[in-house]
Amino acid sequence: MTTVEKAADKVAPPQTADPLHEQVEREFTVKARSQREQVFRRFVRNKQAMGGLILFLAILAICWIYPYFYRFGFNDLDATSRSVGPGTNGHVLGTEGLGRDLFANIMRGVQRSTLIILIAVALSLTIGLLVGLLAGYYGGWVDNVLMRLVDLILTVPGLVVLIVVASNFPNLRSATGIALILGLFGWLDLSRILRSQILGLREREFIEAAHALGASDIRIMFKHLVPNMLGSIIVWGTLAAATIVLAEATLTYLGFGVANDTSLGKLVSDGVSAASTRPWLFYYPGLMLVIIALCINLIGDGIRDAFDPSNKRVRA
Amino acid sequence: MFFFTVRRLLSSIVVLFASSLAVFALCVASFDPLAPYRTRQPAPPPEFFANLREQLNLNEPFISRYFSWLGGVLTLDFGESNGGTAVGPQLLGRLGVTARMVIAAMVLAVILAIIVGVLTAVRQYKPEDYLFTFLTYVLIALPTFWFAALLKEFVAIQFNDLVGQQIFYTIGEQSPAIELIGTRSEIFWDRLGHLILPTISLAMLSFAAWSRFQRAAMLDVLNSDYIRLARAKGLQRRRVLVRHGLRNALIPLTTVVALNVGLIMGGAVVTETVFVWHGMGEYLIVSIGRSDLFPVLGWLLVAAFFVILFNLIADLLYAVLDPRIRLN
Repeated sequence: MTTVEKAADKVAPPQTADPLHEQVEREFTVKARSQREQVFRRFVRNKQAMGGLILFLAILAICWIYPYFYRFGFNDLDATSRSVGPGTNGHVLGTEGLGRDLFANIMRGVQRSTLIILIAVALSLTIGLLVGLLAGYYGGWVDNVLMRLVDLILTVPGLVVLIVVASNFPNLRSATGIALILGLFGWLDLSRILRSQILGLREREFIEAAHALGASDIRIMFKHLVPNMLGSIIVWGTLAAATIVLAEATLTYLGFGVANDTSLGKLVSDGVSAASTRPWLFYYPGLMLVIIALCINLIGDGIRDAFDPSNKRVRA
Repeated sequence: MFFFTVRRLLSSIVVLFASSLAVFALCVASFDPLAPYRTRQPAPPPEFFANLREQLNLNEPFISRYFSWLGGVLTLDFGESNGGTAVGPQLLGRLGVTARMVIAAMVLAVILAIIVGVLTAVRQYKPEDYLFTFLTYVLIALPTFWFAALLKEFVAIQFNDLVGQQIFYTIGEQSPAIELIGTRSEIFWDRLGHLILPTISLAMLSFAAWSRFQRAAMLDVLNSDYIRLARAKGLQRRRVLVRHGLRNALIPLTTVVALNVGLIMGGAVVTETVFVWHGMGEYLIVSIGRSDLFPVLGWLLVAAFFVILFNLIADLLYAVLDPRIRLN
């Protein structure tokens, strides 16, 4: 990933105004593309990934902008139409038991869920990056202690750790609180991925050169190692976002997640109990969650293929 | 191989002890055994709490509490819940219930993952490949509980109505008190009927990811030189696929399956909640709700035990299947 490859697929068009010798020279040269350009081009050409990205952005745009124009607020109680089906009294997707509009709530839920994703990914990215860098770069006992710690946390099912921790903090039942808890335990796989990459990278010549030039450890880590692992970090971030959306929903369903707040997971779990009597409360939030998770996964896989087209790895 | 096994076994035991310490620290920090008395009206006098702390050994230092708990666990005494019932027999009974679902789901998921993974690899970029790829992407994006509820409310109940007979059971792990009144075969069929839906919803959780993994492993093998050689020397396509391809492509899957045991146990908690099973998951959720220390401790230790056990099995199996590992 470090070398700048020259893409040979497109010959620069001959420029008629140029002198003849220059034209001949041009015939055999190819237009150089930076690695960033190549990755971007590969991603844009990936139909599934672009489809996912466009759909995802469209959903986000609608959910953040349309509430300003919609006739019902997410917390408005419409006493005249409680538990009505889609299309009644102007409620596009119907209402729930207190007369709150489902469509307005889904838009609000998506807003809160984006917030959860941003906070949780940012937090676990920071921790995972630090742990991975420390363990991989310094090696020795630092590596041993940190990685054994990760191993230990991984011996207990992740969902159960989240439940136990969340049960401790009954005051953190808002979207931001749950995001903090999810973020605190989301970094384990990232630190492992980065550590194993650094183990390979730190023996390379350019790191040795940086050492020889007197670069500090911090500089080597953040100027030389991190840019080289950017691909893995971005891919991890996208796929983690999908995991976080699902984990939040599951945690909320089990009664340890978002309680006095709106989130997509909250709407989906509330809908499950109403599945047989008011199916619209079950279907629409669930479909929204599935579509969002699907889009994020498609984007993530697209980015991975763009960074690493030779090796189509899968997650498991 | 013998020394490899002994070495791995010893290190697994060390990890298990370390894990028990971590679990104990987490639970002691999380749960207050005196919590149910604190909210009582009228509030009990301070002497009552002092006595209780003495009685429950809460005044002892952390390490000595840990070792007294661990000593009990080694003799299969997992302590008592707040209500005074022994945790060990409860865990054991519920483990049997949950194990039915988990084992069935794992077997189903592995078989489906191999079939779909191999099919999509052999028929790469054909309609079947795209169909199953799409399907697995959707499955990965589904929350387990939503999918389980979908199966329960819209597939099972409507199917039962259509047939006019209860084929799929949607609540419980068996009909109430069937073990008292039913014959052996009645119990078996009753439990099987209750098992189908939870197993499917739990299996789908892992199946999707595993089949993608199997597809990648199979493609990797199919594009290797020795497969081309086997074809070139005139072996039948079927024989090459099964004997030379599949056998090698199965090796990576064993590790992934073993490492996902924790994920499945977590998923079983969710599935049990949806289908109202009285298994490990229910025990965990109820105990956490009561901030009941010893049941949660026992649960986590049992979970850690199985996760570590399956890690060990994966390591050993991998060493048997791929001799390069143990010769490093």
